[in-house]
Amino acid sequence: MPAWNAKNIAHLLSRSLFGYSKNDFSAAQGYASFADLLDQAILKDSPLPAAPNTWVTTVPAASQTSSGETGTWYREFNYWWFDQMHKESLNMREKMVLFLHNHFANERDKVVYPQNMYAQNALFRKYAFGNFKQLVKEISIDPSMLIYLDGNNSRGSVPNENYGRELLELFTMGIGNYTETDVKQAAKVLSGWQVSGLTATFVASRWYTEASVTVLGKTAKFDVNSLIDHIFTQKATAEFICRKLYKEFVYYKPNEAFVLQMAAVLRSNNYEIKPLLKFLFTSDEFYTAAYIGSKIKNPTELMVGASKLLELPSPDYINMYEMSKVLQMQLFQPPDVAGWPGQREWISSTTYSYRGGFSDSLITGKRYNGVAVTGKLFALSYAQSFTNSEKAVEFVDDVCLLFLAFPATIKKKAFLLETLLAGTIVKNYSTYSPGANVNLQQFFKAVMRLPEFQLC
Amino acid sequence: MKKDLSRAEFLRRMALLSGGVGIGISGIPGQAYAQLPAGLAASVPSGNVVVIIQLSGGNDGLNTVIPAENDTYFSKRPDIAIKKADALALKNGMYLHPSMTAIKSLYDQGNVAIVQNVGYANPNRSHFRATDIWNTGSDANVVWEEGWAARYLAEKYPSYPIAMPSQPMAIQLGSVESLLFQSDVGRFGTVFEDPNLFYQLVSGTLTDDEIPPATLAGDELAFLKQISSTSLQYSTIIRDKALKGLNSLTYPNTNLARQLGIVAKLITGGLETPVYLCTIGGFDTHANQLNQHANLWKQISDAVSAFQKDLKTQNKADKVTLLTFSEFGRRVNQNGTTGTDHGTAAPMFVIGNTVRGGLVGENPNLIDVDSNGDIKAKFDYRQVYSTVLSDHLGLSAVSTTAIFKKSFDSLPLFINSPLIEEAGVKMILMDPAPNPASGQVRIQFAVFVSMRVELALFDMQGQKLGLIFEGDLANGTYTYPVDIAHMPSGTYLFSLAASTGQRITKRLIIAN
Repeated sequence: MPAWNAKNIAHLLSRSLFGYSKNDFSAAQGYASFADLLDQAILKDSPLPAAPNTWVTTVPAASQTSSGETGTWYREFNYWWFDQMHKESLNMREKMVLFLHNHFANERDKVVYPQNMYAQNALFRKYAFGNFKQLVKEISIDPSMLIYLDGNNSRGSVPNENYGRELLELFTMGIGNYTETDVKQAAKVLSGWQVSGLTATFVASRWYTEASVTVLGKTAKFDVNSLIDHIFTQKATAEFICRKLYKEFVYYKPNEAFVLQMAAVLRSNNYEIKPLLKFLFTSDEFYTAAYIGSKIKNPTELMVGASKLLELPSPDYINMYEMSKVLQMQLFQPPDVAGWPGQREWISSTTYSYRGGFSDSLITGKRYNGVAVTGKLFALSYAQSFTNSEKAVEFVDDVCLLFLAFPATIKKKAFLLETLLAGTIVKNYSTYSPGANVNLQQFFKAVMRLPEFQLC
Repeated sequence: MKKDLSRAEFLRRMALLSGGVGIGISGIPGQAYAQLPAGLAASVPSGNVVVIIQLSGGNDGLNTVIPAENDTYFSKRPDIAIKKADALALKNGMYLHPSMTAIKSLYDQGNVAIVQNVGYANPNRSHFRATDIWNTGSDANVVWEEGWAARYLAEKYPSYPIAMPSQPMAIQLGSVESLLFQSDVGRFGTVFEDPNLFYQLVSGTLTDDEIPPATLAGDELAFLKQISSTSLQYSTIIRDKALKGLNSLTYPNTNLARQLGIVAKLITGGLETPVYLCTIGGFDTHANQLNQHANLWKQISDAVSAFQKDLKTQNKADKVTLLTFSEFGRRVNQNGTTGTDHGTAAPMFVIGNTVRGGLVGENPNLIDVDSNGDIKAKFDYRQVYSTVLSDHLGLSAVSTTAIFKKSFDSLPLFINSPLIEEAGVKMILMDPAPNPASGQVRIQFAVFVSMRVELALFDMQGQKLGLIFEGDLANGTYTYPVDIAHMPSGTYLFSLAASTGQRITKRLIIAN
C-alpha cells in the first residue's frame, strides 16, 4: 500500500487533476486514506454541468459559419470547458473528458459544427468514469465522429476505410494486432450511416450486402455493436487502452507488466473505467518515487493548473484560448486523429518559450504580443496568504514545494531568494515594505520560468 | 574506344556486380550493387542546403503526377480522374495536376526531377507509423527512434550536445519538432514560426549550468534545459540573419509560402544551417478530394516557384535543393465518397538549379498492384535521401550507408554526381521497367560526363544477343524502349558499358 503522506498526495493530485492550490492540497490531506480521497472526491460522480448555451441544440446550418456564429460558439464552448476544468476542485472527471477527447481525437476543422462537437464532449463526460466498451459503441455512431472519419455516407459496396482503420489502430487494439483485410471488412460493417444535423441515421440499403464478413478471425453478419463486442474479446484491446492511461497518468514509457495487471482489472470489471482508475491510483506502481515529477505538463494542465495554483478567481479564458493555439493544444483541434502525442512532443524551442510567456502573462497582465490579460495575480495578497509569508527563506521553500513537483536545488532556491529579496537581507524582508509587490512579481515569474515548473 | 570483355571476364564481373542487384527479398530493387569509395566527395561546394517539404496526410500521387493516357486510371477513378485535356503534359504519357502550372514551368526549365513510384517494402498504411518510417529512414519491420536527418547532423556536428555549434544545425518552421531532427543525444532542430517573435519570446528564458540527476524525472528536466539552451543560443543569430536577408519578390499569402520566404531570408542572410523542414498538411483526402487536392498543389506549386525565383535572383539557387515527401500515396481505386483511401508508393519531387530535371523511373503500373490494390514501389525512398545526401550535401558513401544501415543505389537526380564520378563509374543504369517484362521494356540510364557507351542485351551465358545503343552521349539521362516481344521467356542481362572500361549490369526477366 502506498504511504498516505504529503508527497504521495501531491503526486496524486498533480496527475489526476489539472493542478491544485494550497487549499485543494489541505482539503485532500483532510481525508483518511487514498481510498477515501478517491471515492469521496477524485472519482466521485457529480451532476452533469449545464450546457454552455442554447446553441448546442440548434440544428447545424451552413449559414452559421458564414455569419461567424460557428467561430463564436466554439470560443464559448472552449471558455466553458476551461471553466469546468478550473472549477474541478478535487474531481477528476474533466481530466478524463480531456483524455477521451485526445483518445477519440476529432478536429473542428473537419467536423465544422460546434453542436456536433459539444454532443461528443457530453458523451465523453457521461462515460468519463463509465463503461469504455459502451463508449466505443456510441462513439462509432456519434455524428461528429461519423463526419470526422468519413463514416458519414460510407456505403457497404464501396466502403470508406477511414473509421474502420482508426477504430482498430487508434481507438481499440493498436497497430500490429489486425490485418489490412480486417480493416476492409470492418469498414463494411461500419457503413450505412448518414449524418443529418444533430443525428445519425442507419440506412439499411446503404449497408453491406454480404451474408457475413470475417473480422479478426470470426465470421458473422456483424453490426456495429457485435463488431465492437468482438473487438473487446481480443486480448490486445484492454491492454491498449490501459497502456494509454498509464502513459497519460503514470509515465510515458509504459511498464508492460503493470499494463497487463491493469488490463486484467479492466476486463474483470467489464470495461468499467472507475474501478481501473481506483486500482491505478492505489497501486504502489503509481507512487513509485522515480515517476514523481517526470511528466511534462500538457498546455491545458499548464494553463488551468497555474490558474488554480495562483488561486485566480476569474482567469482570462480568452488568453487561455489564444495561448492554447500557440502552445499547440487547441481544444477540439488536435493535430490529427492520433491526438496530441504528449510529453516531449509538447516542447520545441518555440513552445518552450511561449510557456514562459504564458506564466508571465498571469503576473504582468500582458500577453507576449502586448494584449491585456484580465484576472491577473495580485502577487502581494497571494504571497500574504502563505503562512510563512514574512519569512523569506521559509516562504521560498514553501512556494517551491507547492509549485515544483521536481525539487528545486539549493542553488536554485538561492537564486529565487535573491530575486525575492532584490537587494535587501533576509532579516529585513517583509511583504509590507515598499516595492514588495514588484519583487514578488519577479519572484513568481522566476519560479514559473524554471524548467522544473513544466514538470508534474 | 570501348574495351571488349572476354566472356569469362564478363561473367566474373557480373557475379561481382549482381550480388545486390535484381529482385531483393523485399521485391524492391535499390540496394547498392557495388561498394563505393569512402571519404567525403570533395567536389560538392560547402554550404549547400536541403529544404524538405513534408506533405502530411498521404498525398495522392496518381492525381499529382497523372498517367492521363492510361485507361485503367480512368476506369478505377471514374469520379476523380483528371483528364488529359486539363492536365499539364510532361512526357511519356505523364501529366502534372492542372493547378501545378508554376512547377510545370520549373520542370520545363529542367529544375524538377520527379522520381516515380517511391516507397519501401511491406508498406505501412497507418499515418503515424508510415510518417515515422519516412522520418527515420528505417525498414517497415523495425522501429527506429532517430530521424535520418538527425543522424546526418550527428555526423556533421560530432561535438553536439557537449558543445553547441555557433549556428543552428537544423531549422523547422512550425511549432512541434519533427522526429526527423530528433536523436538519442538530443534534438538537432530549432523550431519557430517567425524569427523576430522567436527572439522576443526567448528573451525571458532562464538558464543555469546545473546538471540534473540521472533519474527518470531528471532526464525530462535535462531535456527541457537542452531546449531552453538551444533557444537562447540560436534566437539571436536567427533574428540577425533574417534581418540581413532579403526576399526579392512578394511570396503568395499562404502558410507554406511564408515558411519558404523565411527560409530564403535566412539563406540569403548567410545562415549556414544545412537542413530546413517546412510542412503542409491536409492530404488525407478520404472524401470529396478534388478541390482540396487542387488547392494544396496550387499552394505548393506557387510557393516553391516563388522560392526558386527568389533564390535565382539572389544567386543562391545552386546551393539549395528542395525535396518533398509524404507518408504514403493513395489507393488506385477511388472510394465511395469521391476520395481515396491510404495507399503506398507515390512520386517524390526534387527541385533545384543543380537538379537533373525529368521523370525518373517507369510510369505507375495500375494493373500489377499489390493485394490491397496499391501501387508497388519501384524505388526505395532512401535511394532519394541518400542521393541527396551524397550528391548535394557531399556525404561519403560510408556515411550514407551508416545513416541507413545499408547502402542504396544512387539515382540520377543531380546534373553532377561527385560520388558517382569518384567511383569512376560516371554512369547509372536503372532497373529495367517493368521487370519482369513482356512485349516491351524501358531501359533508363544516366551518364555524368560525355562518354561513349554501349547498351546491349545478353543471355545468362554472356552471349550478346542484341545491341540497343552505341554512340557518344553528353551528360544526361536517357531512356530506350526495347522491343522484346520476339524473345523467349527467361532471365537476361542488360549491360551498359562505357569507353572508360566500366560496365553496369542489370537482370531482366522476360515473361512473354
